[in-house]
Amino acid sequence: MKLLEIENLKKSFGELEVLKDISMSVEEGEVVSIIGSSGSGKSTLLRCAALLERMDGGTLKYCGETAAEDNGQGKSVYCSRKKLKELSGDFGMVFQNFNLFPHYSVLKNVTDAPVAVQKRNKQEVIKEAKELLKKVGLEGKEDSYPGQLSGGQQQRVAIARALALKPKMLFFDEPTSALDPEITAGILKVLKNLAAEKMTMVIVTHEIEFARNVSDRIIFMDSGLIVEEGSPYDVIDNPKNERTREFLQMCSDTD
Amino acid sequence: MCKRLHILIAILAVILISTYAAEYVNAEENNESRLIVGFDAEFPPYGYKDDNGEYVGFDLDLAEEVCSRNGWELVKQPINWNSKDMELNTGSIDCIWNGFTMNGRENDYTWSSPYIDNSQVVIVKSGSGIEKLKDLKGKVVVVQMDSSAQAAFTGEDAEEENIKLAESFKELQQVSDYNSAFMNLEAGTVDAICMDIGVAKYQLDSRGKDFMMLDEYISTEQYGIGFKSGNTELRDKVQNTLLEMVKDGTFEEIAEKWGLTDCICLDENSVADDSNTDTKKKDNFAERLADVIEQLGSGIFATIKIFIFTLLFALPLGLIVTFLRMSKISVIRWLTKIYISIMRGTPLMLQLLVVFFGPYYLFGLSVSNSYRFYAVIIGFSLNYAAYFAEIYRAGIEAVPIGQREAAMVLGYSRTQIFRKIIFPQMVKRVLPPVTNEVITLVKDTSLAFVLAYTEMFTLAKQVAAANTSIMPLFVAGVFYYVFNFAVAFFMECLEKKLSYYN
Repeated sequence: MKLLEIENLKKSFGELEVLKDISMSVEEGEVVSIIGSSGSGKSTLLRCAALLERMDGGTLKYCGETAAEDNGQGKSVYCSRKKLKELSGDFGMVFQNFNLFPHYSVLKNVTDAPVAVQKRNKQEVIKEAKELLKKVGLEGKEDSYPGQLSGGQQQRVAIARALALKPKMLFFDEPTSALDPEITAGILKVLKNLAAEKMTMVIVTHEIEFARNVSDRIIFMDSGLIVEEGSPYDVIDNPKNERTREFLQMCSDTD
Repeated sequence: MCKRLHILIAILAVILISTYAAEYVNAEENNESRLIVGFDAEFPPYGYKDDNGEYVGFDLDLAEEVCSRNGWELVKQPINWNSKDMELNTGSIDCIWNGFTMNGRENDYTWSSPYIDNSQVVIVKSGSGIEKLKDLKGKVVVVQMDSSAQAAFTGEDAEEENIKLAESFKELQQVSDYNSAFMNLEAGTVDAICMDIGVAKYQLDSRGKDFMMLDEYISTEQYGIGFKSGNTELRDKVQNTLLEMVKDGTFEEIAEKWGLTDCICLDENSVADDSNTDTKKKDNFAERLADVIEQLGSGIFATIKIFIFTLLFALPLGLIVTFLRMSKISVIRWLTKIYISIMRGTPLMLQLLVVFFGPYYLFGLSVSNSYRFYAVIIGFSLNYAAYFAEIYRAGIEAVPIGQREAAMVLGYSRTQIFRKIIFPQMVKRVLPPVTNEVITLVKDTSLAFVLAYTEMFTLAKQVAAANTSIMPLFVAGVFYYVFNFAVAFFMECLEKKLSYYN
């Protein structure tokens, strides 16, 4: 089953056309990485998928249910706010800068949305949250505040927070860009464990090794278009497109 | 904390000692060739600003003549009536020459002979049904702050009869000048004004038939020229010149020019009376301090009342203004911007006057006297809400956009996002600037005097004038400082409480 379907997505910021014509989909249990240089539009694509940006044109579906449709004239028409809110429960998101709530403890960061948004039983949520924190390696940090944690620890809290709502898939927007390389390995391990549990994930990253390690499929974007798409072996090790080769060359130069 | 307390105590000690010392330091002697006349520039026909912007009046004409005969230069110094004793004591003026009532003040100054006979009369709106003094029962009567009329009702030497009359009023209000007294009368917030007959005649002449004077007088009194206690040398020079002017008819000529011929009571044989110039000030400093603090008590209560009510309304109102200011609808946004711009761009004092008198002058609604306090609170709240709104807006905009986005993806509703995520972080950020505003508010409460709402500082000025001492003002200063110290301390505690995260 396709958890995410995007067709003919177009998005401009003023005069700047960021996404030209993007179509992609994600199968249940699949891990997809979107790579590309800065300004290629990969983050905007993910933000459109997470309903943080409105598409100008195109279709957006979660688990087969329509969130936005093309009106026949190339314009996207979104469904009601209520419906969107319901659909947004299908996905969770992890940000580059973590965006934890600084005034809430680690436990409260994880438990507040399930209690306040999903109206679930508080005791049950707390129990689950403690298990989630244990899973991401943060046992005993429940009462700390985000400001007292390292970047890697904060990102793990953010992952636990997203998981606590039991989404069908997770979006990661450059999850390791704000972290030191040695911390990145820890986050990678968490993602691999999630992948092993068949968690559907879409990861925007510019770290090639990270993408290769965790992904079933790689999408390479350039100038608002999907240039190449396939298994890590096809895209990273045997790129067919000239732009892909240039990008990978550039990445290995800087590494 | 402990260290700070020491500093505070040291500061208080210095203030008190210097107050005490200031009482005994003699002001510098005056320059011989000048006569600086202190007068209330809003007291026609004795002294006021005419249409050409010149200070003119009966008393100033007399002073001009006295100066030219003595070869002095006349300096016309308009003063704040409440500060007249300080002006005189510090030597910044030589005399108070301005329809200055002697009765009840005999001991406080060195006086010339009385030269004008003046009585206190009552002015009411024509057709108000008030015809006799006894009709004033249950009415709101207004007098000028620290004026003869006030002294006649509440002064230490007030006559029994007048005190009883005052007690029959619903309320005895005070305003800082006659213009606002008439505005009050016109707007219906007061029923009668009590003032000097000379002033009353002048005001009735210029204001027309809307007002009338009662036939019964409240008290009879006389005007003299007040010099600093003990300054008989200057007094004698001025007195002798005045007598010369009476002899050659100049005095009468000037009186005629100002329509005061009927009131003259100076003849060439008048002798200044110095029999009462011994001071009966209390010598014990502590006793006087206790007296002053007791007298300021009700004012302190009024000040705290303004402070608390203003915060109670302005803090939440500011939040509403912030929402309007950040509205997606541009009309609302612009209207809010204009509101904030006016509130920040015009004096709070003016805003208070508009809130109080606006309903009458703009819409013809007569306002009740109890509206006075509401007007103070409305004016202050509207003004402070504008400042708070901009502080809140800065606080909201300083919360990273990622916080809102994370909350949106987690499915929080818009109200939940504001209440749970944005607001708590905003509060932490705005505490220091809000503290600044709150401290300013403590001091701004003194502006309530423009609506004749007697808060602490107004009272302090009155007590200072009555005691011919500046100590009440220092006591007021200490009160403000202590109040603000407490505010700052409380806000610091709040900040500490919110510093569990960063």
